[in-house]
Amino acid sequence: MTVDPHVLARARARVLGVVSADASAPVPSGLTGASDGTRVWLLPQWPDGATPALLEEYDTAPMPLDRPGQQRRVLAAALRCCWTKLDDAPWPGGEAPVIDVLEVYAGMSRGDADLARRWATGELRRLSDTGWLLLDETAGTVRPGPRVALWREESLASLRDLLRRLPQPVREDAPHE
Amino acid sequence: MSELFEPLLRSYDEKRRSELVAAYLAVEHAAEPVPEVRFPALREPALRRTLEAMLGLSGRTLVRPAPKTWISGYRDDVAAALAADPACVPPVEERAVLALVLIHSVAIPRATGLLAEDSWQSPYPTPLEELRRRSQLPVGELEAALRRLRAAGLVAQVRADGEETGGYVPGPQFHRLTDTARRRLQEELILAAGPDSPLAAAIRARRRNRVHDPQARDPQARDPQAHDPHDRQAHDTAHAQGETR
Repeated sequence: MTVDPHVLARARARVLGVVSADASAPVPSGLTGASDGTRVWLLPQWPDGATPALLEEYDTAPMPLDRPGQQRRVLAAALRCCWTKLDDAPWPGGEAPVIDVLEVYAGMSRGDADLARRWATGELRRLSDTGWLLLDETAGTVRPGPRVALWREESLASLRDLLRRLPQPVREDAPHE
Repeated sequence: MSELFEPLLRSYDEKRRSELVAAYLAVEHAAEPVPEVRFPALREPALRRTLEAMLGLSGRTLVRPAPKTWISGYRDDVAAALAADPACVPPVEERAVLALVLIHSVAIPRATGLLAEDSWQSPYPTPLEELRRRSQLPVGELEAALRRLRAAGLVAQVRADGEETGGYVPGPQFHRLTDTARRRLQEELILAAGPDSPLAAAIRARRRNRVHDPQARDPQARDPQAHDPHDRQAHDTAHAQGETR
């Protein structure tokens, strides 16, 4: 018995995590496409606009992260640098030098700045593995990942407030290519 | 956004509908199996059938790892189709590392009677040093493999605590194996850890018979290459073991 190709396409998207295709490629039915104009990433569709954040209301733990607090702060530092037009949506955002993100993160943390930068480098990789950021280690740049496209507009107000309070990247004029 | 689910949810009132949505997100995204006492859509058989249909739209199914607790996993036929797709199979380094964790944290404790027969959760961590020595991977590759396996929930890290040494145990994804997937994984571990044992010979004989038996009903049994993505890593166990000898 063969599996319904639509079902298989959705299952495949879950197995592969957040993968991209050429922007002109069709998005399988039942999935959401997040496009940056060049590529399109396949994201799940959840019923009635609910998100996994609903788990909190039911005292149900989501998949564990290694260092959730640190990972969230590094994501915030990265968004501070890549999501510069805060009135717009975070996706697709813009590219920022990794070094700026590390500086912002070091400025948010107490203690040894070198150590903070090293921790943050590891977290950037983890956030990139899971589609929250798109990290280009060769170019030394980072931009928002397609998963942020799943954030609902009405949930963004507190995040915008938080980002406005974070320190600015010091190297504002750094090349953004 | 939810046209996918609309045909299944349309007939329910608001309350039932939100119960179904909550249960759907819980079984799909929770780390551990969720107790049905907290979710009416898991408790009531009619709602549970609709939930099963919602999961089925993405090739998923309900799994009950223990009485009155539920989680989701890939349907066996979907898992077989995904495992046949090279893009969906993790790299050999990850499979080798995971196989080593399963041998040390599950197969060995199980063989000595320390671990229950059908459990894939283990309190016995595989030390990092063991992974380093047996996998023969350069440290950087081993760490990258462990990072991805942790992120995927396939292994979990146990930190050293006093006299207890730290290391890695099978991760929360192992709650999500169907009965068929668990059985296959068990067989693969026997083949890997004791290839010369009578039990391994029996498994090989049974598989051979199914291959030659045109009446065989189980499509997975007919094709030993096509199996659940959760247990495909064990397939390489024999290979990983071979390398360590």
